[in-house]
Amino acid sequence: MNKLQFFCTFAAVALFFTAVAAQAQSATDEKLTIIRTKDALGFLKPVPVNVSGFTGEADATLKADLLFMGVQHVPLDQAQYLVTGSVAGRVEGRLTDKPTKAIKLNKAYNGGTTRQQIHTFADDIAKALTGLPGIALSKMAFKAEKGVGRSEIYIADYDGYGAQAVTSDNTIVASPTWRGRDMLVYTSYKLGNPNIFSHHLTSGARAAVARHPGGNYSGVVSPDGSRVAMILSKGGSPDLYVANIDGSGLKQLTKTRESESSPCWSPDGKTICYGSRERGPTLLFTISASGGAPRHLATTGAPSPTEPDWSPDGKWIAFTSQTRTFQICIVQANDGRGGTAIPLVEGEDPSWAPNSRTLLFCRGRDHAKQLSLLDVPTKQVKTLNRILESNSQPSWAK
Amino acid sequence: MKLAKSAHLLAVALALSFTVVGCKKGLDKTTGIPGRGPGSIVDSNPNPIRDLPPSNPVPPFNPNGNNTDTTSSNPPFNPNKDETGGIAAAKGDFTGWIENRDEFAALTVYFDFDKSNVKPGEVSKLEEVAQKMKSSFQGKALRIEGHCDERGTEEYNRALGDRRALSIRETLVNLGLNPEMLPTITFGEEKPADPGHNDTAFSKNRRGELILLSPPGSN
Repeated sequence: MNKLQFFCTFAAVALFFTAVAAQAQSATDEKLTIIRTKDALGFLKPVPVNVSGFTGEADATLKADLLFMGVQHVPLDQAQYLVTGSVAGRVEGRLTDKPTKAIKLNKAYNGGTTRQQIHTFADDIAKALTGLPGIALSKMAFKAEKGVGRSEIYIADYDGYGAQAVTSDNTIVASPTWRGRDMLVYTSYKLGNPNIFSHHLTSGARAAVARHPGGNYSGVVSPDGSRVAMILSKGGSPDLYVANIDGSGLKQLTKTRESESSPCWSPDGKTICYGSRERGPTLLFTISASGGAPRHLATTGAPSPTEPDWSPDGKWIAFTSQTRTFQICIVQANDGRGGTAIPLVEGEDPSWAPNSRTLLFCRGRDHAKQLSLLDVPTKQVKTLNRILESNSQPSWAK
Repeated sequence: MKLAKSAHLLAVALALSFTVVGCKKGLDKTTGIPGRGPGSIVDSNPNPIRDLPPSNPVPPFNPNGNNTDTTSSNPPFNPNKDETGGIAAAKGDFTGWIENRDEFAALTVYFDFDKSNVKPGEVSKLEEVAQKMKSSFQGKALRIEGHCDERGTEEYNRALGDRRALSIRETLVNLGLNPEMLPTITFGEEKPADPGHNDTAFSKNRRGELILLSPPGSN
């Protein structure tokens, strides 16, 4: 009994001191001025850094993380900043301004896995150098096919590591999108028809968002999480609808004989962009989320645009253009007018990162697709590891 | 016993606090990484969606009855499509109906690239289907499955396959069949008839399949 009492007292005292230690951490010198230059499209030019001291997986992970956040590893003589550090039980890292030798960042990382520590260090560097939110700890969801007509939803780290199955429906499950960071909305054929469900990731609880007669698919959650835009064919033709996340308050936004497809939300939640064949060829349109007249969004130079995704900063709409192959393009949202499309790389179904710089997309033949990351301004691409037979429809958690 | 428990709790809290704070070795900051333990996703099986109440209650289907829309205050069902929409989707639940995929396998309807209209050359197939449904399959239903080739993005094709199935349905309604006995489903590009990646395969994959459905318990 005495022993226990002693241990309790010791533990309480130790706990108190660790709490003090946590508070006593001094702030790094943040007075340095960072000069950020932009390219012709307004994206930050990659900040040249030299990474040293890391080896193997840690080194490769850190350099890839930085690349997709606008910080590029270059030879020492071309670097503006030095990233140094080590992995010895834990990740320790420093960011130094090369000309002035001023230390911008000096941290050690504990807990989690080495990958998570490296990702956190990369986020800290990117935030310090670009001012943009880090993406290295972000998550994505995607569709993984395990055979023809059988697919499930998976979630993974943004770089494809740590993939986990979310569904086990043994049918077609497709088109995942996030609601916050703990819920997905997707289409499942589990009950026969394609229906839209919400799925709470920690409890596993599922609820129907749309189970109307006919098709229910391409559901996508509004940025505030309250509504879902989707395609329903209950009226006899695939049209655009919005409803509350629980399926109530259903409102039809388009009524065309031809099909509408793949909606997305503007970051302010006021506008929906979608594809339609209303005028013959497939074109992108925007429409007020509360209803009104559709307006054509120009994608000059990019035929058959589908799968729009609006960047979180509101400036860009990424989409898939189709000629003989699929092409990832971006176009300025331009207040719903669009403009001249900028082709980036071969691929389909782009999804923006929270930093409005990086895209996830997929490419490859049907039933053998792979996910890839794309740094939009530099067009650098990294192909991610494949889960099961085919991966597509990536959705980046914002 | 109570004390032992609190000691245990404190030990855990202590271990956690060390994990978060770590040791300082002349560094300015230490950052704890929030752990993401395995199994943070609970499998969905404990909550089978079969048990959930449908978000859109469907009235019991009566294949011999007068299948008008009774779920809302809409005007009575009008099989003549309006100028912009189409014929409302079949509201019945055909779960458990017996599938016969062979009966109309030879009458699969094929489409042109990126088109959803039933080609004039394909209409005779649907005339034959309508005739058989009226003469031999009274009380049975026909499920129309819309499919696409892979030259189109996935969700675009899901909508296109839907539109194809609905076009076939419209043709069959115009040939005198009851729309409530014609459920449709789209598979987009998910289920190609030919797994090839060439024009021959593509032309076989742009199709509408017709599946005869018999009520449970019938022969």
